[in-house]
Amino acid sequence: MNVLYVEDNKINAMVMDKMLSKNDSHVIIAENGSQALEVVKEENLDLILVDINLGLNQMDGCELLQKFRQLDIVKDIPVFAVTAYAMPGDEQRFINIGFDQYFSKPVNFDQLISVISKIEKSFEQQ
Amino acid sequence: MSFTLEKYGISTEKTLLFLFILKQDGKIVSFNDRCELLFPFDKNKVKGKFITDYIIDKDVPLFLNLVSNLSDKDSFTSLSLNFPTENQGIVSIKFDFKLHNNLIYATGIDITEESKKYRALLTISRLTKTGAWYFDPKNDEISWSHGCYLINELSFDIPITREKEISFYPKDNRARVENYLNELIKNRNPYEYTEKIITEKGNEKWIKVVGQPVIYKGEVIYVNGTITDVTDRYKYIEKLKYSEETKHLALKGIQSGLFDYHVKKNEVFYSMDFKKMLGLPLNQDFVSEKEFRKMIHPDDLEKMLKKRLKNFNEEGNYYYNDYRLKHLNGGYRHYEVYGFRRKNSKGETTRMIGNLIDVHQKKNNKKTIAESKNRLQAMVNNGFVYTILLDIKGKILMTDEKSVKIIKRDFNVDPTQVSCRFIDVMPLNFKNSFAHEFNEALKGNIVKKEIERIAHKGDSQWLEATYTPIFDQEKEVNSVLVSFHDITEQKLAEMTIKESHIKEQELNNLKSNILSNFSHEIRTPLNGIMTVSTLLLDEEEPEEREKLLMYLEQSKNRLLDTINNLSNYSEVETIKKNINLEKLDVNYTIETSYRQYKHMAETKKLTYQLELDQTSPQFNIDKNLFSTALNNIILNAIKYTTEGGITIKVSSDNYENNVYISILDTGIGIGKENLKKIFDPFMQESIGLSRKYEGTGIGLSLSKRYIEILDGEIKVKSTIGKGTKFNIIIPKCL
Repeated sequence: MNVLYVEDNKINAMVMDKMLSKNDSHVIIAENGSQALEVVKEENLDLILVDINLGLNQMDGCELLQKFRQLDIVKDIPVFAVTAYAMPGDEQRFINIGFDQYFSKPVNFDQLISVISKIEKSFEQQ
Repeated sequence: MSFTLEKYGISTEKTLLFLFILKQDGKIVSFNDRCELLFPFDKNKVKGKFITDYIIDKDVPLFLNLVSNLSDKDSFTSLSLNFPTENQGIVSIKFDFKLHNNLIYATGIDITEESKKYRALLTISRLTKTGAWYFDPKNDEISWSHGCYLINELSFDIPITREKEISFYPKDNRARVENYLNELIKNRNPYEYTEKIITEKGNEKWIKVVGQPVIYKGEVIYVNGTITDVTDRYKYIEKLKYSEETKHLALKGIQSGLFDYHVKKNEVFYSMDFKKMLGLPLNQDFVSEKEFRKMIHPDDLEKMLKKRLKNFNEEGNYYYNDYRLKHLNGGYRHYEVYGFRRKNSKGETTRMIGNLIDVHQKKNNKKTIAESKNRLQAMVNNGFVYTILLDIKGKILMTDEKSVKIIKRDFNVDPTQVSCRFIDVMPLNFKNSFAHEFNEALKGNIVKKEIERIAHKGDSQWLEATYTPIFDQEKEVNSVLVSFHDITEQKLAEMTIKESHIKEQELNNLKSNILSNFSHEIRTPLNGIMTVSTLLLDEEEPEEREKLLMYLEQSKNRLLDTINNLSNYSEVETIKKNINLEKLDVNYTIETSYRQYKHMAETKKLTYQLELDQTSPQFNIDKNLFSTALNNIILNAIKYTTEGGITIKVSSDNYENNVYISILDTGIGIGKENLKKIFDPFMQESIGLSRKYEGTGIGLSLSKRYIEILDGEIKVKSTIGKGTKFNIIIPKCL
């Protein structure tokens, strides 16, 4: 599995890499939206994880999702929101915007990994 | 028996009869001597002439008509012929014609006198519109003269019968009319009546009918009579009656009575109406002045006499007076006198003739009107703030005192004196919608409109204008009442409520914003802490563990900062109690904070400079409070700057008592409207779907609190897109 994780917080990016690598996924980190847009052009991705708050004066996760959706290559790749915005209503808000799934921080890795496995299985079946 | 001319002639010689023998075409065959006076010339020339040569034109066709219809079988046929003569004028001869052996024998008598009388009667009949009739009770036979036919507009050839005659009267009157004649026959008394008829042609006429019985041996054997058309006269009388009645009713209606004051006799004559009006004895024509004075209201007597004296001596003929008089029902009533003075040749007034009019009701009405007008005015002055009554053209008919004052002051016009349109004297902002509302009111609708009026002193006053159409008796709008209600308080209350609603909404938004902020700020480092902990459990390589532990430390610090900020936000009084002041070097204190964020600024690739003060001032502060305050400002500067950098400058040598610490960034800047709010807790600019700036939003408010507790001051200047400059001014140790 090739996973792109768009995250400005280095620690959070790092720990995601470590956790998913243990599960045999290859994690590519992008610190901001523009980097992410470069990555999707070059890499063959299976999943994209996007933080929402990507730092001062940066394109946020929602804007990035809109950009992804305009690209043919990203059209069929699932995009998950991974964010510390976890007030009631936030999940619905991000799903409404178009994220395929929503994970709040602190991330429940068991859940995330099980979702990733399911995606992997569906690929194998195909 | 056969006549010869001879015999005929002899037998007629001694009579006064006129004899002619004519041929059937009227040619004169023979005549007796008596006839000679009918011919204007020698009688010998007459033979062979026609009789028609000697009669007036009118008679010619009558004669020709008669002779052409004569036959032997007929007995005598009569016709009058008129002969113009030299000596006697027109001579009328009534002839009896008899045809015998193709010769016409005409025997005539002179009826000139009768004819003259008859013609005169006819003329009189025509002129007086009178006709004669007779009635024979034996066979119920009635006969009409020409005149009767003319009056009834009935064609002469229709024979008149009793039924026909009665039919000219209106149905309802017929029984009565029939009875007149029946009564006459029964009582043998002549009668006379005037009745309405409808003529044959349908015209309405009034006729006067006279009937005169002819009595023989105590019984009515014949009735002679006349019919006179009295329509004109009757109508005139009717008119006269009507106008008399009108006058009477009018006098009665206005309750007036006529009087005549005879000065010399010192007596007053009163008309019947007058006496009735005042309850004076009806059989007494005059009332003495003394008695009259008794009737006048004691309060009015002097005034009345004074006025009368003046009237008495004044020039001209007309005069006026007014006073109260005792009324027959008790009490006094108001009267007005409109009079005429009659003067003698010396110019002395001899009589005063006048009309006394009861104006009690009018006076009372006037009083009532005045009272109700006052009441209305009071209502107008007190019920609403402003009230204006407009006619349908928008002109002010009436308004309250306040409005008058305002209009006088603002437009120098007195609407009670000069006719002016409301639109010309209203505040400017009323004009926009006035026409619309006024027109709606003219259509009969009540219209309400809220408007703001800026009062003279500049306060705004909220008014509710109500346009009420006022209808006249024909249900047409004849005026519009514009009343203004002061709704300022209500409006202000409404606005306050609205504002507080908005504030409440803002606070609600802020609340969820704060919660969301804190949640995000706590969850982000917590994510690191939790994940790193999990990883640490499995990680055996020391280098990796070291790295993970460092991550853990960083995340832990960030979490702590957040929580500290939150808990630091406590009451000023509590902070003041626990304050710990110490004398510190300004440069050193500032540099400590500066160093703390150097790494952060460098990570963002910002220039990060510190300029210290050469005089090394000292200040008396609580280190924790001051550092927290300064740190928050530095952190803020770094957070909102992406290009350029931050310069922190300490200066004190130019100022006697204070140290100036300025933190200048080239960041995004703060909008004017938000500059005041940035020190409010939890206020962060740009609140969106996801905020671009991390932080709890209470940093700056803490800075301000702390610096103020330390007797300092924070000022901020900012330009959007260019940057922000914070100045901390704090007393130095002298």
